[in-house]
Amino acid sequence: MNGDREGEAMAVIKVSSETAGSIWQILVKPGDSVAADDVLMILESMKMEIPITAPAAGRVAEVFVNEKTPVGADEVVATLISD
Amino acid sequence: MSWKEEVGEIARRRARALNLGGEERIRRQHEAGRHTVRERLDALLDPGSLVEFGALVGEGDAGRFLPAGYVGGLGRIDGRDVMIGGEDFTVRGGSERDGRTKDRLMLELAREFRVPVVQLHDGAGGNIENTLRRGYMQIPTWSNDGLEVDLLATVPIVAGVMGSIAGGPATRAMLSHWSVMPKHSAECFIAGPPVVKRAIGLDISKQDLGGSQVAVRSSGVIDNEAEDELDCFRQMREFLSCMPRNVWELPPYRQPTDRPDRRDEDLLDIVPGNRRQPYDMRKVIRKVVDDGHMFEIRPFHGKCLITALARLNGHVVGVMASNPMVQGGALDGPGADKHVHFMELCDQFHIPIVYFVDCPGFLVGPDAERSGALRRGMRAFWTTFSITVPLLQVIVRRCYGVGSVTTSRTDRLRLRLAWPSGEFGGIPIEGGVDAAFRRSIEAAPDPQAKRIEIEETIARLRSPLLAAQAFGVEDVIDPRETRPLLIRLLEVVQKKREYALGPKARAGVRP
Repeated sequence: MNGDREGEAMAVIKVSSETAGSIWQILVKPGDSVAADDVLMILESMKMEIPITAPAAGRVAEVFVNEKTPVGADEVVATLISD
Repeated sequence: MSWKEEVGEIARRRARALNLGGEERIRRQHEAGRHTVRERLDALLDPGSLVEFGALVGEGDAGRFLPAGYVGGLGRIDGRDVMIGGEDFTVRGGSERDGRTKDRLMLELAREFRVPVVQLHDGAGGNIENTLRRGYMQIPTWSNDGLEVDLLATVPIVAGVMGSIAGGPATRAMLSHWSVMPKHSAECFIAGPPVVKRAIGLDISKQDLGGSQVAVRSSGVIDNEAEDELDCFRQMREFLSCMPRNVWELPPYRQPTDRPDRRDEDLLDIVPGNRRQPYDMRKVIRKVVDDGHMFEIRPFHGKCLITALARLNGHVVGVMASNPMVQGGALDGPGADKHVHFMELCDQFHIPIVYFVDCPGFLVGPDAERSGALRRGMRAFWTTFSITVPLLQVIVRRCYGVGSVTTSRTDRLRLRLAWPSGEFGGIPIEGGVDAAFRRSIEAAPDPQAKRIEIEETIARLRSPLLAAQAFGVEDVIDPRETRPLLIRLLEVVQKKREYALGPKARAGVRP
């Protein structure tokens, strides 16, 4: 999922859950710096702990869910601002 | 008398056809990031192998000759015969003329020669000019009658979406066994933005309507995505290298460059000890197949299932594998559709299938129900039980539910090989406990502890070695043995496939 251009070098990156399930663990908070592929949250789906990873490096901007929140497929769970 | 002059005229006309729609149109094609049809044929075919038919077809004379909007003929790709052609976008946008068309000739020859077909689709199909020229309306027909449908049962058909295709070319692209499109320079849709605007009043760009983000990733209407046109050709070559010439032959064997007895130690460590944690199934596949190499088909759609062509000891195999990273490997609608297509492809072209299973069953929940996962999943089941090509099953971890029944055909080659991490059942343990023991759990002084006690009792039954002892599974194997064992088994079924060459019969109404 690509973000919109805001400012010169920044872009808002949406992080979404690929599958329906419920958020099991949130491992980051707004302001945290993450690298590409870092695990941001763990989704519980079909009895599995499925990592939701950062699509690119950046800083966590917003987190839209809490632990135990149910999410649908392709639902946006957080946004990052790319470096 | 010498016919030299007339022969010279033939040569002059053939040279004239090379100009396509003229310099200006060729320049515009290049500016759009696209090659001309002749450049595409040059890039894809073995050098000098094109035997073109119908190069002399066209209208007008002297300086105003316009060739037909299609170029095609017989060629070779990596030494293998193919019938190949594509629309020439520089001539009337590649739109069709009435009457006997060149692409129909290519298909008829493919039928007579029994060789694969490669179509490089470009252009938007029918043109209203035809009606004006003709002077009357015509009931829409399919100019190739049932040719493509017959060919789909006999020779591999490859479709490349090379430009912005709609209408006729887009529908023809669907009549293929495998399709590919480049990322930025091509689109595929039923109708393009102008028609959409008139029909429903929506303004939308070509890429947003039918670029690879939509056609490959959202809808899966086109199987594979390529970086550019050259990558399309690379993928076409790879796909064709795994296909036989036609259904009367076996897929091509290649001298292996990997040891058949390779027992990779890493296979012991890929599946995590924590059964709730996913892992990369592609790693498992790569450690088993020749040279760690596989050609994935439809990788961006139906991602709960991995489908790929690979080799085991030089022989082509179809690899199907659950992807535990995507909804735990649960089979959903798009995954089931992919299962149907890939299994039919392998069955038709005599490619044995190996299925690596880690599947908790069909996907549950409202999205799954709304998308008809139940019917689509059972269509996958129906397909599994209609194929005759050998299907071997490796149970990597979970094998539960009817979703997992789709992964093997126990009334035929009943060889289910489980890894020590394998666990199986009709329904997963956790869900079953709540349903079956609800009363005794609720009545217990400590319901949570009671539930855990029951689950632990059943969990002890989870070891595949218990099942092996009771012959509930044909064998439990050391994961490192997977490759040598599969190779040995496929060696045996090689001969059997030779007895069953030819087209596969299909009957029955699928779910």
